Amino acid sequence: MADLIKLSGLKRYYDVGGEIVKALDGVDLVINHNEYISIMGPSGSGKSTMMNMIGCLDTPTEGTYEFEGEQVHEMDDNQLASIRNRKIGFVFQTFNLLPKLTALRNVELPLVYANIPRDERLEHAKIALEKVDLTDRMHHKPNELSGGQRQRVAIARALATNPSIILADEPTGNLDSKSGGEIMEVFDALFKEGNTIILVTHEAYIAKHAHRTIHILDGCIEEDIVNHKSKARKKPRKQKATA
Amino acid sequence: MFAYIESLRMALSAIWGNKLRAALTTLGIIIGILAVTLMGTLISGLDRSFEKSMSFLGRDVLYIAKHEWFGEQEWWEIRNRPDLKVAYVEKLKSQSKYVKAAAPVTMRTVNITREDEMAMGINIAGTTPEYMQTAFLNIESGRFFTEGEDRSGTRVIVIGYDVANALFENENPIGEKVKIGNYVFRVVGVTEKQGKFLGLFSMDNRALIPLGTYQRLFSRRGWMRLDIKVDENHIADAKDEITAIMRNLRGLHPEEKNDFAINQQDAFRQQYQTMKIAIGGTGIFITVLSLVVGGIGIMNIMFVSVKERTREIGVRKAIGATPSSIMRQFLFEALLICLFGGFVGMVMALGGSILIDKYIFPSTLPVSLAITALVLSSVVGLIAGLAPSFRAARLDPIEALRYE
Repeated sequence: MADLIKLSGLKRYYDVGGEIVKALDGVDLVINHNEYISIMGPSGSGKSTMMNMIGCLDTPTEGTYEFEGEQVHEMDDNQLASIRNRKIGFVFQTFNLLPKLTALRNVELPLVYANIPRDERLEHAKIALEKVDLTDRMHHKPNELSGGQRQRVAIARALATNPSIILADEPTGNLDSKSGGEIMEVFDALFKEGNTIILVTHEAYIAKHAHRTIHILDGCIEEDIVNHKSKARKKPRKQKATA
Repeated sequence: MFAYIESLRMALSAIWGNKLRAALTTLGIIIGILAVTLMGTLISGLDRSFEKSMSFLGRDVLYIAKHEWFGEQEWWEIRNRPDLKVAYVEKLKSQSKYVKAAAPVTMRTVNITREDEMAMGINIAGTTPEYMQTAFLNIESGRFFTEGEDRSGTRVIVIGYDVANALFENENPIGEKVKIGNYVFRVVGVTEKQGKFLGLFSMDNRALIPLGTYQRLFSRRGWMRLDIKVDENHIADAKDEITAIMRNLRGLHPEEKNDFAINQQDAFRQQYQTMKIAIGGTGIFITVLSLVVGGIGIMNIMFVSVKERTREIGVRKAIGATPSSIMRQFLFEALLICLFGGFVGMVMALGGSILIDKYIFPSTLPVSLAITALVLSSVVGLIAGLAPSFRAARLDPIEALRYE
């Protein structure tokens, strides 16, 4: 099977008032299908840039990014929007649901941009909500839901288009430990169903759910380790941790 | 197509979510469109009432008088001009090949009484039976006076519609007697209802008597006008010829200026055109100004809306909205607000024009104007929405997601 994600010599420099900030400085990384990865690193390490890069929200200054064979580093805004829509499901720390739309409408939204007909859209959205066990709350607006429920709506939204990866940025950061635990169970379950999940976090106990942990420091991968005692139990498989 | 419907739906729900703000913003457009349509209605109403007034004056009738209708001469110059004479009429008729009919008209204001009833301030005109050909006048009942009555100075009178109503309510005036001062007249005819001339003088509040009678009873001198109906295919030629004949009759030397004026309906037309341009120009200026102000209001609120929804835009972009779909969403929002304003303004103008029609002067809202109003409001919406939508479309998703 082809690599899901392949980063080679990836650099992202920012020009901040004449000074070059090297947010990512030569990253090589391969991610395969059905991996459960956590990306860790202190603030300022380039962790966010890394996530934006993998999420196709940003393009590299130098280096290449292949996503299922597509050359992301050569894409324009429209192509990036399209690949985000088709292949990536985002889960944010602050949920980022649209407050005026019901849970169902929020989940439906990425499908709107995928130009899927209305009936089909609602059907997919309902299936996604079922996966996070929220069918009974689908006509509620975000402010009528608890934090954990909101995040589950956000996960459903990320799942709606059946993406290749789910990219979660501190998904439990705004939740109490109980809801946070529930959310992690959702991710674990999704992983078991065959999804590829990338968590960005600075909490070690969250990172432990993943099978592979990538530590970033000063724009480079400092450590890439396989976590055999992952909480998401699945029969151990050989990880390709080299790049 | 599909994407457009979705953008439309998003725009609608955004407007719905901010009803009060949208309503207040659209007020500027409502006022602008109201101004456009009312101004248009007004001008088209003015046009029609002008045309109706102009039907009192024939295109092919020349009005010879001492003064120009819209002249710029000094009053003393006109006063010193010799009066026109009845005798000119026969001379003009015999010397010009273009003259079809000619009637001298002289006028004064009198009160007409009948027993206890009195009609005050009636314009009474002394003229000849040919007046029926030069004026656009119909007799509702009875008849006009005759040549014989004119020559013999018989005291007969043709009264206007309003005068007949005032003096003979629910009675047949024909054959009845009325008095002007101490002179008794026999009513021989009543003219049809005509309405007002340019909304100023009532054409129904007057009476006509034979010129011979007029001169015998009131005055042989004073103001006089000659109404000359000419060949409608040779109006300009006729005017030249009549000018020459008149100069001859007046005994003017070639170097002397005309001491009379030949007036035409065109004089009113020209006057009206300049007035219309003035009204229209001012109207357009005010209208454009109000639409610009309305448009700026829309633009402003759209900028606020984009700013407020920066995070939403970021989310939408992250989950796959293309720049053009974001642009479309905001553009449609501005467009819909404006279109709604245009529609409301148009409906209000429609109501206004019905009220004006009922109480002030005839007016309707032409369909073309209604369409113009909607198109215009859409154009304002598009222009006003362009810059904010463009800003929204170009937002960097990373920055937008981070926006608090």
